[in-house]
Amino acid sequence: MDSLSYSLRVIWACAKKDIRTALTERLFTIVGLFVPVTVLILMSLFAISGGKAPTAVVMLDQGPYAQAFYQSMDHAHSFILEQTSTTEAARQLSAGEIVAVVTIPADFDSGLRQNQPVSINVAINNLNTDFTNDIRRAIPLSITSFYASSFPNLVNITTHEVDAYPQDTDYIPYLAVSILVIALMIGGLLQSGPASAKEWESHTIKELLLSPASRWAITTGKMLGSILIGLGSAIVVVIVLIFIVGIQPAHWLELIGYTLLCLIIFNSIGVLFGTLIKQRMPVIALSMGTALPLFFISGAFGPISFQTPIIQWMAPLSPAYYLIVLFQHSFHNFYLNTLSMGANTLILIVFALVIIGLETLALNRSVLSH
Amino acid sequence: MRDFFHLSWMIMLKDLRVYFKHPTNIVVVLVPSIVFLLIQALGAAAVGRSPVALVNQDNGIEGQRIVQSIRDADVFRLSEVDATQAQTLYDQLRVVAIVTIPAGFTNRVEAHQPASVDVLVNNLNLDFTNDIRRAVPDAITRYYQAQGDASPIKVTMNETDLRAVDVELFQYAALPAIIMLLLIGGLITGGLSTAREFEDETIKELLLSPVPSAAIVVGKVLAGFITSFCLGAIILGGVTILGWVHPSGIYWLVGLLVVALTALFGAGLGVTIGASIRHVMPVIVVSLILTFYLFFLAGGVGVLAFEPTWLQQIAVFDPLTYGTHALQMALFYQSSDLLLRDGIVLALSALATLGIGSAAVRRVI
Repeated sequence: MDSLSYSLRVIWACAKKDIRTALTERLFTIVGLFVPVTVLILMSLFAISGGKAPTAVVMLDQGPYAQAFYQSMDHAHSFILEQTSTTEAARQLSAGEIVAVVTIPADFDSGLRQNQPVSINVAINNLNTDFTNDIRRAIPLSITSFYASSFPNLVNITTHEVDAYPQDTDYIPYLAVSILVIALMIGGLLQSGPASAKEWESHTIKELLLSPASRWAITTGKMLGSILIGLGSAIVVVIVLIFIVGIQPAHWLELIGYTLLCLIIFNSIGVLFGTLIKQRMPVIALSMGTALPLFFISGAFGPISFQTPIIQWMAPLSPAYYLIVLFQHSFHNFYLNTLSMGANTLILIVFALVIIGLETLALNRSVLSH
Repeated sequence: MRDFFHLSWMIMLKDLRVYFKHPTNIVVVLVPSIVFLLIQALGAAAVGRSPVALVNQDNGIEGQRIVQSIRDADVFRLSEVDATQAQTLYDQLRVVAIVTIPAGFTNRVEAHQPASVDVLVNNLNLDFTNDIRRAVPDAITRYYQAQGDASPIKVTMNETDLRAVDVELFQYAALPAIIMLLLIGGLITGGLSTAREFEDETIKELLLSPVPSAAIVVGKVLAGFITSFCLGAIILGGVTILGWVHPSGIYWLVGLLVVALTALFGAGLGVTIGASIRHVMPVIVVSLILTFYLFFLAGGVGVLAFEPTWLQQIAVFDPLTYGTHALQMALFYQSSDLLLRDGIVLALSALATLGIGSAAVRRVI
């Protein structure tokens, strides 16, 4: 009992000491606190265009079929349309302001009435195949849906879509939740990693290791200090997501629980990085440098099972993957893998315990080396 | 003047020695960009080609034809299975959608009755859902096109591409990543070497010596420039060997010039930040955050021209926008489109950072 009480005092003392130290390095701490919000804002820019291609439509025919075709394009979930003249469209295309120019020819209506072939010219700014292929597929979609609505007797094959969820979730509401995890990750790593490495840089770790305090209590104390500092930053980033980006959580309690779990996981990883690397600069660079790659391999865009096999193999090695699954459930009620939420949570708890174990081990090895 | 360059040269050599004494500096600069490039390449195969289960419950010829059209469209990663297997794959999240050609499809098509291709889609986000919504009609259009003159669809698409080559998404993402690497390289080298002088108080010796502050700044910028330019050139060589870019002739030189100007800008900015903040730790964090801002605002993970106007207006003030544009034009499209504008903006930005950096160091006096 005395031993537990002593360990709790050690934990609290280490946490208090780290908080005080952080307050002496005001600039670093303040900048670090704003990192998660910064990451959320910046990465959201990635999704802001919503995957729709700005496209100019030159209507050389204003007949009812031409108008109907324009409407079909408008409903194709693919374009941001603007009607313009041939000259202006050519200028916009060459200036790189639009992805494509679709020209509806002057004989569009008459050609269709006479059952003659009609060719729609599509000039594409084929900067990259992602956008180009979207256009290459969206025009046939427009053509097919145009025929289905204007000539239902001629084109009788149509798509009958049944959706799994009653409403579509747009790019930003979906991606912003994944980005939240990455933002909390960077925030956690930046709070705990440098604080831990600093003990080695300034050699104060010797005093800690020579004390009778248990290794796990030291580690937990350092984690707790970083979590308490990072908590404010986490609250700010969640508030921005809910009240500014406008994504309402489906399960509030889950959100609170997963946010705390996220802080524990990434702060413990940060302490481990600091203990292993022992220098603040590479710890900071590693913390920020892992953000983009982890964003791409952790299932930020959708279920990981839709990705390539190698990404499917890599993702489960990252706690960010399970956290994205959990956060998407707490916000949108989505299930992104076949495990239950409890199983995902359990895996993360095991992650946290393993990391704390590794930290303790790393500290023990340090004693041996001393 | 000769003394000035000699002094700058000596400061540069000193900073380079310190830089190579800390190999972690190189790791810090290289790792994020290389890992980013690698991940992009690994994930590229999935972009735009969603996994889909295809179930053909029709035994007729039209069912076979529409299935063939779906295969030919090459827009899915197809699993051709029966309904039960498809449902299992769907439940296990192995496929985004189940495309079903229902029984009696051929009869309905031949009787000119409405015949639907059933699509059950996991619409949890618009990215995947819209891919499916576009791809199934694409296959239907192919089905009709295969009928030639007998096709009831008389409207066809005549595509004209603005550029001679199609560039894959992962290739497209490579150049902004190189620009990011150049900026991080310049900022970290220039920023740390300057901030360290202040933290170790060796700046006093430099400032008390008869060395002009401009020579100190030039020496430090040169060190940052050389390290990040070399790293940038090596990575550029690497992606060329991998076949991600195909520079040829004069465009090799143009590419290297853009790399040089961006490295110079990064190093100048690094020295400015180092002299302004004067502490190593905040310099690192500020440098990395600034790099993220400039990278994303320059359309680092998208196509800037297709982003909202307000974002494009902000990007006008971001020098990386010009570096990325010039590099893409030169290395992908063998084009010098707006090269003069891009070069001037990058050069002026580099000069501006040199001036501000010099003023920041002089302020200490």
